[in-house]
Amino acid sequence: MFDAMTKSEVILREAEAIRSYVKEELRPKMYALHGKDTLIIEAMSTTYISTRIMARFAETMPHYVYRRVSLNPHNPKNLADPFEEEMFEWFEEDSERLFWQGIVKKNGDSFFVSMLPDYFTPACIRCHGAADTAPKELIERYGTEGGFRFEAGDLAGINSVSIPVSDSLREAWQGSLVLFAITLFGSLVLLWLLTQVFQRLVIERLGVMLSLVNEKKKESGASAGPGDELDMLTASLGSLNSYVQSARKGSSLQPNFIGDYVVEKPIASGAMSWLYDGHSVGSDAKISLKIGFDEVLQNPLYKACLETELHLFETLSHPCLPEVKERVEDVLILSEIRGSSLVTLCSEKPLGGRQLLTMFSQLCDLTATLHSTGIVHHDLRPQILMLDDEQRLSLIDMGLAVSDQQPDPIVAAGLGPQGDLLYLAPEQIQGRRGDPRSDIYGIGILLYLTTTGRLPFTEKKKSSIQKWLQRKEQMVNPRIYRPGLSAALEQVILKALSYDLGNRYQWVEDLWDDLKKCE
Amino acid sequence: MRLMVFSDVHANLEALRAVLRDAKKRQVNRSIFLGDLVGYGPYPNECVELMRSLKNCRCLAGNHDVAALWETSPYGMSSSAKKAILWTMDQLSDDNKKYLESLPDRLDIADMTFVHANPYNPRGWRYVLDKKYALRSFAATRCRTLFIGHSHRPLLITKKYFFSIDLRAISGSVKIEMKDNKRRIVNCGSVGQPRDRDPRSCYLIYDSRTQMLEFYRVSYGLEKTARAIKAADLPVSLGRRLLKGT
Repeated sequence: MFDAMTKSEVILREAEAIRSYVKEELRPKMYALHGKDTLIIEAMSTTYISTRIMARFAETMPHYVYRRVSLNPHNPKNLADPFEEEMFEWFEEDSERLFWQGIVKKNGDSFFVSMLPDYFTPACIRCHGAADTAPKELIERYGTEGGFRFEAGDLAGINSVSIPVSDSLREAWQGSLVLFAITLFGSLVLLWLLTQVFQRLVIERLGVMLSLVNEKKKESGASAGPGDELDMLTASLGSLNSYVQSARKGSSLQPNFIGDYVVEKPIASGAMSWLYDGHSVGSDAKISLKIGFDEVLQNPLYKACLETELHLFETLSHPCLPEVKERVEDVLILSEIRGSSLVTLCSEKPLGGRQLLTMFSQLCDLTATLHSTGIVHHDLRPQILMLDDEQRLSLIDMGLAVSDQQPDPIVAAGLGPQGDLLYLAPEQIQGRRGDPRSDIYGIGILLYLTTTGRLPFTEKKKSSIQKWLQRKEQMVNPRIYRPGLSAALEQVILKALSYDLGNRYQWVEDLWDDLKKCE
Repeated sequence: MRLMVFSDVHANLEALRAVLRDAKKRQVNRSIFLGDLVGYGPYPNECVELMRSLKNCRCLAGNHDVAALWETSPYGMSSSAKKAILWTMDQLSDDNKKYLESLPDRLDIADMTFVHANPYNPRGWRYVLDKKYALRSFAATRCRTLFIGHSHRPLLITKKYFFSIDLRAISGSVKIEMKDNKRRIVNCGSVGQPRDRDPRSCYLIYDSRTQMLEFYRVSYGLEKTARAIKAADLPVSLGRRLLKGT
């Protein structure tokens, strides 16, 4: 291909040299010998001379096709074909385009084509300007139909050389196929050899070893169950096998059974764990299961948080906390959680009057109980509070809670704010934990949500910490979203959501005292 | 919110029961005990168990609680105190010892700090009775109010200016307004062994709504405790102290 590219350019440059010889030496000499009005086409026309010479060249080299074409030629034989017309346009678009090479398909064959544009000089206009002033020899030979009405600087024509490349392309393609087939065959042979070697050296010997071990075991009468490394290996392979099989079937990898309980659909997600519906295998009694997220169970830091959460659920007792029935490894079996989350309830309609007070009396009592035992929840939000038909509130998650009697793993690890920034108190966003007043802020947000049906801030998760703090400081008054809100309730919400810790309610009990008077 | 603060029960079950009975009438939401549950008195296990059964109550560690666990040596104490501690060590059940071990030294809740003796070195057990240690205590906490016990004498220290304080000994049942936002150190006196010449038990309730400090003195069966001290073969001087309030 490279060869064709070079050859076609050489021939083209050669033809160009002939044309410039005629233009610059032969034609002025003819004018000098025979006078200015003379036109001997055979000795003075660049197109005629170059075409004729290249025609003789083509007699010995039939594969090389030289063409000198124009959109408006004297000789109709030199009229551009459709492809060449396109190339005229391409060259005319930009006068700096002085050369083109490429592969062109013509009549089913591929040709490598090189093209050069040719522009009229003032000397050319004698034969290519107006037909009236053109030499009569020219008119006699070609008539007045074509080749006139040009000006100096116009694109005169395109000189091109085509070399057929179909055969060489075919040869290259066949060569590649053969090479590919040889490589493929070689790789397969190599792979087969490697497999044979592995089979002989590893698999067969391991099989013999395993059978020997098994025989020895049978002889010594070793007890069943997990004992040595081989048993562990067998067990691991067994579990890997079942894992792969379940994955191939496309089934969920979530366990279907935990202890004596069947896991059903998930109800909610907390900070560290999922909450699933479930039932007991024997009795069909409904239960809920708290199962840590996979990534939490694999991370020692978050697992410590989950452990704290499970411990709190196990040790605390309050009507708003689900009763713990059993603990199966890292899973808590809880009493059935009924009702729907506050998010769902608030999206239907804002709560009011009795319902609001009933709910918040339970929430405040629960928070006061937590605080009086030194626990700060840190994550009071509507997604983890469930309200049933009898208006009983349940708190289903304490993943970010911390007790002041134990070191806080999140602070110890120097992690930044944890939880949903929408619900976090400003001091939590700044990375402080362990202050009960942060929970009072959380209750404030819940009050705002339940009375107005919306949150005081819009969700823009990509905002910076500074932007969030600014947003928390410049909160929209709840009365704007709910004009009918009583002044007393508005004051309670604003005080609970106070940016400054000193101005906020210091104790949940004080918040509840004020709230119950709002009835 | 009504917060009960009391301290220094010193295994005096009669006094503790009387105080809790009295506080129950006064609608308390939460309570915080500032340490020294055992030592001196004849009922260490009973007092620990009663305290453990209380709802919404936090407990701190005092020097006698720590000494009864051998975490600090009792040999630096007065001879009667030392004898009582060694006796208490023998009496305390393992379960109750574990509970005493778990008690924290200091709590910071909302804008209040709670500690047995002082916040700058809680296990140094130094009394805060004068300007020097009061200023040092103010510097050791960012909270507005500091509640302490340990000295067995109810006392109110108010910070006036940078280096000026006002000390006021509290006698009898009184109510004090705290609306002026000044920083204060409040010593809640002692339940089980008052030393301000008033043998009645002393405790206080802080009402966050009215911002009032309410000190209360409660009579209890002194003689019964004194008899129990004698019966337990503890130094009789400890019983006499209770009767005199010294």
